[in-house]
Amino acid sequence: MALAVRGLTKTYRAGFTAVRDLDLVIADGAFFGLLGPNGAGKTTLIGAVCNLLRPTAGEIRVFGHDHGSREARRLVGLAEQDVTLDRFIDAEEMLVFQAGYYGLSRRDAWKRARELLDQFDLSAKAKSRRSELSGGMQRRLLLARALVHQPRLLILDEPTAGADVELRAELWSYIRRLHGAGTTVLLTTHYLEEAEALCDEIAVLRDGAIVARGSADALRERFDARDIGELYLRVLESARTTAAA
Amino acid sequence: MSAVAPHPEAGAFRAARSPFLWLLEREIVRFLKLWRFALVGQVLSALLFVLVFGIALAGRIDAVGGVPYKRFILPGLVVQAVFTVGFVNGTTSLFEARHDGYINAVLASPLRWWEINLALVVGSIVREVIVGAGVLALAGPFVGLGFSRPLVAVGALVALLVTGAQVGVLAGAYARSLDDIYSIESLAVLPLGFLSGIFYSVDRLPGVWRTLTHLDPLFYFVEAARIGVLGTGDISAGVALAVAGGIAAALTAWSLLVFRSASTLKP
Ligand SMILES: Nc1ncnc2c1ncn2[C@@H]1O[C@H](COP(=O)(O)OP(=O)(O)OP(=O)(O)O)[C@@H](O)[C@H]1O
Ligand SMILES: [Mg+2]
Repeated sequence: MALAVRGLTKTYRAGFTAVRDLDLVIADGAFFGLLGPNGAGKTTLIGAVCNLLRPTAGEIRVFGHDHGSREARRLVGLAEQDVTLDRFIDAEEMLVFQAGYYGLSRRDAWKRARELLDQFDLSAKAKSRRSELSGGMQRRLLLARALVHQPRLLILDEPTAGADVELRAELWSYIRRLHGAGTTVLLTTHYLEEAEALCDEIAVLRDGAIVARGSADALRERFDARDIGELYLRVLESARTTAAA
Repeated sequence: MSAVAPHPEAGAFRAARSPFLWLLEREIVRFLKLWRFALVGQVLSALLFVLVFGIALAGRIDAVGGVPYKRFILPGLVVQAVFTVGFVNGTTSLFEARHDGYINAVLASPLRWWEINLALVVGSIVREVIVGAGVLALAGPFVGLGFSRPLVAVGALVALLVTGAQVGVLAGAYARSLDDIYSIESLAVLPLGFLSGIFYSVDRLPGVWRTLTHLDPLFYFVEAARIGVLGTGDISAGVALAVAGGIAAALTAWSLLVFRSASTLKP
């Protein structure tokens, strides 16, 4: 199992419960899409997996290791929804230090940083700071940063937010190739068609709980929907009715 | 975009270079990039005090207990400079990291909570040492250096470096806005500095002021440093060092607890 979440609950300090008793298992090698409306709890779930918040209850394992262990952390790469780039250092240094936090040697860290700048077409911006990068460049750098240590589980929280059509297509094809090479991918996105095209399994989250899960084909059949957009709305509608009942 | 990365093997975490050293390096690189403000500016502001009070006004201000005034104030000015640098470094580094969210890259990585804490603290100490040494090196020739009680001076210095760094890291961990930081700076750091007996000897003060000064934690650092340099002070070396060391230890414990629970670093 790449990821096994059991009984996860997160209640924020204000008393708001964003994720409630959630179970989720993602197989090694999967391309998994996590869909759901704004505020459903997708980023909260991801934050819990990546040790960015303090879960209220539950257990999370990454490739069999407790998610807090260094072994587990080593295996996860995260590109956050927010552009959380270091404001004090340049793009290249961001990648170098990130590699360092994962224990790379100085030589490997610089090598890997240059490689990724090149792959993401950022070499010309190696010495630029966050404020000097366009939105799309910041997205690319975030993704590059998630990849410096060659994670086995790549978590992408809306990786194409703010990206133009061309960049979006490039990012998807890049991510598809990472997956092809054996990386397990957990993706959240509001681009439903793209989620359908990429993911071999999807789950829909609503009010902190998973209300449907399966392959896009199977779910379409089950909810009698013509396309992913209709499916998405029907899943949420039926969850609303169940919740009201 | 080409090339697709292979994966490392799973298994026990091993580092070719310690992640702690990487984070410490990042902390140092951060302030070195801001050297004009972070280093030069802060040495300069301490030097201005030495110039104005110690040299320009020296003729009008009597010696304190037989010590020329410029010599009398230098240890306290170094204490204040170092303390301010520690405060500024910890708050900007950690507050910005929390505020912009890039602390998440560190929190998600294999770095352990105490390594993160230690890297921030040691990073601040490095900057404090550079600024403190700069002030001493530039003011020393005018004022005349020399340590009457070197061991006391070293003890005072260690306690001061740790305290300044920890106060900054704690403020950076708790602050919710830049306003919070500026408030602490103008309502606490600045008054504590001025009331700590840098510019006067408490023996000369009327009762209320004397009590106030004795309540100021920084007073004990200034006294310890002054005893280390001049040989005598208003209180005994033992008391000054015990209070200063106690404060450093208590702040260190508090800082470690904050990072272990991560209560202010993670929602
Ligand atoms: N730090 C926080 N403190 C309090 N409440 C929070 C915090 N972070 C998120 N929430 C709340 O938790 C709920 C879930 O938020 P989350 O960011 O997980 O949603 P999401 O599914 O990622 O949404 P989006 O699609 O908009 O990114 C929301 O109601 C949000 O207001
Ligand atoms: Mg989100």
